[in-house]
Amino acid sequence: MCGILAVFGCVDNSHAKRSRIIELSRRLRHRGPDWSGLHCHKDCYLAHQRLAIIDPTSGDQPLYNEDKTVVVTVNGEIYNHKQLREKLKSHQFRTGSDCEVIAHLYEEYGDDFVDMLDGMFSFVLLDTRDKSFIAARDAIGITPLYMGWGLDGSVWFASEMKALSDDCERFISFPPGHIYSSKHGELRRWYNPPWFAEQIPTTPYDPLLLREAFEKAVVKRLMTDVPFGVLLSGGLDSSLVAAVASRHMAESEAACQWGSQLHTFCVGLKGSPDLKAAREVADYIGTRHHEFYFTVQEGIDALEEVIYHIETYDVTTVRASTPMFLMSRKIKSLGVKMVLSGEGSDEVFGGYLYFHKAPNKEEFHQETCRKIKALHLYDCLRANKSTSAWGVEARVPFLDKEFINIAMGIDPEWKMVRPDLGRIEKWILRNAFDDDQKPYLPKHILYRQKEQFSDGVGYSWIDGLKDHANQQVTDAMLSNASFVYPENTPTTKEGYYYRTIFEKFFPKNAARSTVPGGPSVACSTAKAVEWDATWSKNPDPSGRAALGVHDAAYAEAVDAKNVSVMNGPPQKLQDGVVGKIATVV
Amino acid sequence: MCGILAVLGCSDDSQAKRVRVLELSRRLKHRGPDWSGLYQQGDCYLSHQRLAIIDPASGDQPLFNEDKTIVVTVNGEIYNHEELRKGMPNHKFRTGSDCDVIAHLYEEHGENFVDMLDGMFSFVLLDTRDNSFIVARDAIGITSLYIGWGLDGSVWISSELKGINDDCEHFESFPPGHLFSSKQGGLHRWYNPPWFSEAIPSTPYDPIVLRRAFENAVIKRLMTDVPFGVLLSGGLDSSLVASIAARHLAGTEAAKQWGAQLHSFCVGLEGSPDLKAAKEVADYLGTVHHEFHFTVQDGIDAIEDVIYHIETYDVTTIRASTPMFLMSRKIKSLGVKMVISGEGSDEIFGGYLYFHKAPNKEEFHSETCRKIKALHQYDCLRANKSTSAWGLEARVPFLDKEFINVAMSIDPEWKMIKPEQGRIEKWVLRKAFDDEEHPYLPKHILYRQKEQFSDGVGYSWIDGLKAHAEQHVTDKMMLNASHIFPHNTPTTKEAYYYRMIFERFFPQNSARLSVPGGASVACSTAKAIEWDASWSNNLDPSGRAALGVHLSAYAKLPSVPNGNLATKIINNVQLMMETPASGLTIRS
Repeated sequence: MCGILAVFGCVDNSHAKRSRIIELSRRLRHRGPDWSGLHCHKDCYLAHQRLAIIDPTSGDQPLYNEDKTVVVTVNGEIYNHKQLREKLKSHQFRTGSDCEVIAHLYEEYGDDFVDMLDGMFSFVLLDTRDKSFIAARDAIGITPLYMGWGLDGSVWFASEMKALSDDCERFISFPPGHIYSSKHGELRRWYNPPWFAEQIPTTPYDPLLLREAFEKAVVKRLMTDVPFGVLLSGGLDSSLVAAVASRHMAESEAACQWGSQLHTFCVGLKGSPDLKAAREVADYIGTRHHEFYFTVQEGIDALEEVIYHIETYDVTTVRASTPMFLMSRKIKSLGVKMVLSGEGSDEVFGGYLYFHKAPNKEEFHQETCRKIKALHLYDCLRANKSTSAWGVEARVPFLDKEFINIAMGIDPEWKMVRPDLGRIEKWILRNAFDDDQKPYLPKHILYRQKEQFSDGVGYSWIDGLKDHANQQVTDAMLSNASFVYPENTPTTKEGYYYRTIFEKFFPKNAARSTVPGGPSVACSTAKAVEWDATWSKNPDPSGRAALGVHDAAYAEAVDAKNVSVMNGPPQKLQDGVVGKIATVV
Repeated sequence: MCGILAVLGCSDDSQAKRVRVLELSRRLKHRGPDWSGLYQQGDCYLSHQRLAIIDPASGDQPLFNEDKTIVVTVNGEIYNHEELRKGMPNHKFRTGSDCDVIAHLYEEHGENFVDMLDGMFSFVLLDTRDNSFIVARDAIGITSLYIGWGLDGSVWISSELKGINDDCEHFESFPPGHLFSSKQGGLHRWYNPPWFSEAIPSTPYDPIVLRRAFENAVIKRLMTDVPFGVLLSGGLDSSLVASIAARHLAGTEAAKQWGAQLHSFCVGLEGSPDLKAAKEVADYLGTVHHEFHFTVQDGIDAIEDVIYHIETYDVTTIRASTPMFLMSRKIKSLGVKMVISGEGSDEIFGGYLYFHKAPNKEEFHSETCRKIKALHQYDCLRANKSTSAWGLEARVPFLDKEFINVAMSIDPEWKMIKPEQGRIEKWVLRKAFDDEEHPYLPKHILYRQKEQFSDGVGYSWIDGLKAHAEQHVTDKMMLNASHIFPHNTPTTKEAYYYRMIFERFFPQNSARLSVPGGASVACSTAKAIEWDASWSNNLDPSGRAALGVHLSAYAKLPSVPNGNLATKIINNVQLMMETPASGLTIRS
């Protein structure tokens, strides 16, 4: 990832303004520790902090067209840049950077080229000939982007809110799949795939087609000039990514430079379910596996920094981001700059446990559509910002445009959870990779039900967070919550605690409005809460609290005797975990 | 390098205090991007930001003795840790970290072990049995360290000033070679080498002894578990470091892990003297050489960040730190975590051009002693903080304790510059590596006079800085300088400009007192200005402005008979701002 910041029409081209832009751009330096660049044209500024993944030696930004009249600052990866270069034969390229095609595509096609880009990206492009500019964000919002307006009439764009929140009167999360053009003065959606209308598709399920689409999505993402790895939690999604990557690694360019053995990474409290599951998968595939342990105290100590980086107070996101944030630091310290990750599968296939209760295929399908459209506020935001905090780039093959089209074109009847037919959640994905002759994964892993992220790192993680929040937030504070925080009022002490931290860093109204709210159970949208009458009474948003649909949850709940299935396993908090010493292995 | 921060006896063990210490510790995260740790015992906090160089997998800090009663947070490298471990066979070590020995040495020897450490270090050690603590900094101050006091009676220790300046009533630079003991209630100097008294030594010059001492110093510093390289400006000092490192790399552990070919790095404006000189040396030595180019605009854009990181308003230091700061980012982006650098040689051997005018060997020697003692405020500070800003560690073999002892015991008569005998500056060092059979460097490089750092990156760099400051500091501002800045009043617009930036980041009185001041010509101490009457009229601190003693400077101005060469050289150099109208491009 990189960090971009652009300011247009600020009616000020003094040295003081330049210094200010440089200072603000430095707030994004964690995203791009390798180099920085600033292009200034009259009262327009394009700044860039670079993480060098492709062409480290010459791809510093901003990038230009031939005569330097078009300037572009990009955060992202364009996987089809070589094919696009082929199309632009008459153009001369200055660097080997994958992002340079953007300036040339603009020259060739004007504003209408964004859908030609295959990848994840946010960019701002300035046409110095008429001082017009465009800004765009990738289809799903894998890369973050914010847009703001200054009182002086300036328009701002930044990869993270922290770079523009102090200088803009108002700002918003830039909608994914959109383009802003200064000529039209408005946002327009460039991403118009068939599934977007939420009509119910009818294509029958073809396992091989799905498999091939996913393999292609992974292979594309092996494009790199630097060391990389895979985040492996041992669940289905990350295990498939690792299995496919490992299988195709030998043929990739990356392997020539960095060796053909895949590195995998897993994080957890000592003895956590994920660590065990990931180890098993890593052993099976034969990767170089790295385990990182953290303690509850270390996680709690990191919370402020996590919230500063991910810029949300959404409870599930904060819980899940913290281990990922800690792990990213360790990954980076090994010299690894890029990781593949499994985000998006649960949205595309309805993998969350609450999908068990979907009343029919229409509701099921629409919920998956809603979930995908909201990804940029949740898992994409988490995956991107938790890793970018340490200059690690996360790539998410499940959110490949082609793959989404295929997966979302399947008749949702096939995605429904049908215990009667032996179909657990994400059955079509599991079945697609169920190859008896050349197995991707052993059957018991392929069909394993796994913890949702925050639980997988160790049950005491969420318990420890709640306990810590209980110590910091009093009953009186919570009872006044609706007055203190009228918008997205926190309903739990944990939610309240995260909110106080968020407000400290981002006190503006506009900031809190960038974070989604509303009722949710186990990551569902507000709409899906209607699927079960009992759900609306349970404010805990974690996967564990939901539903009692996980087979293992049934077993545990039985052990815990009279604990209701709704509340999940008992809340046993261990004093020993919250030790004062933060040591890590 | 790592970043350490300790708060001792603050009478506050609340969650709010813990969060505050974590927040302050994060200000040092650039020094140790790899991991962080916080140990809390009552109202004592020891925090650590780690750059993992030795034992990356298990050496996270703070570190402990066997029963965890002694806790230590360390920034540094202990080159003789393996010997020290062997000396304590009855101790069980928890990690492979070189710094692990400190807790055990304390158990064994109490507070009197610091001189046993061979390396660069700053550490805080807490003995939880009686809540006492000690703090120490290496002999020369290669690693940075500050000490502060809070109104609540707390003592604060931090690798950089920014870790404590907002929370302490008073703070200062922790004196190098000293130990602070809470039991003794004060500082005392543990570093007592023969040269410290500044008595004139009489050992005759032995080239082979000097050569061996330096080779050992370089070899020691090849200890690493991560990729590393050498900063190569093409001058004598860095070229010698590169030559020795290249020669000895093959046999090291590091080579087994990272390959036996040495990486070298050089920075400059395009076409600068250093780039050319370094390339020549790199070609001769066969290193994998990396050149980084920057523009004057890149440098100017970085100045605020540089001053924030290096925490000084000293003009020469800022000029020289900026290219080093930019280069460090590029080096780090290549995955390199450690570099060996040539700082210290000019101080030990009197390599600055103004030493040409030393009136006698006594003055010469005393000036070298003064320069070494002040290194922690100048070149050590620059080398450490410019690199640490990007999580890169700089090692400086010329400041090896053993090597200094050898070099500083030589009769200074040998170090004197004697054109009539063909002895240019640093002749004793050049001569020591003048090996006909296995040449370390070609003769013309070995005996080359080179630009001083800031000029070497390109003449237009300093001119560009001056021109930039000229635009932002008015004559009126200069007129009031002594009222606005009564302490260390800036005497040039450039200095005024840097000072404004410094004061913005570090507005406390203690902060400005931590930076040295006083008259200087071309990096001399105030005392050495007495060597030449004309010097006191010229307050430009760069190497170029001085003296007209550089041979090529003579050559450039053949028609100037004598007199004050310095100002004339300056006036002859064209102002060249390389600021492209369309903004900047950065190449590597």
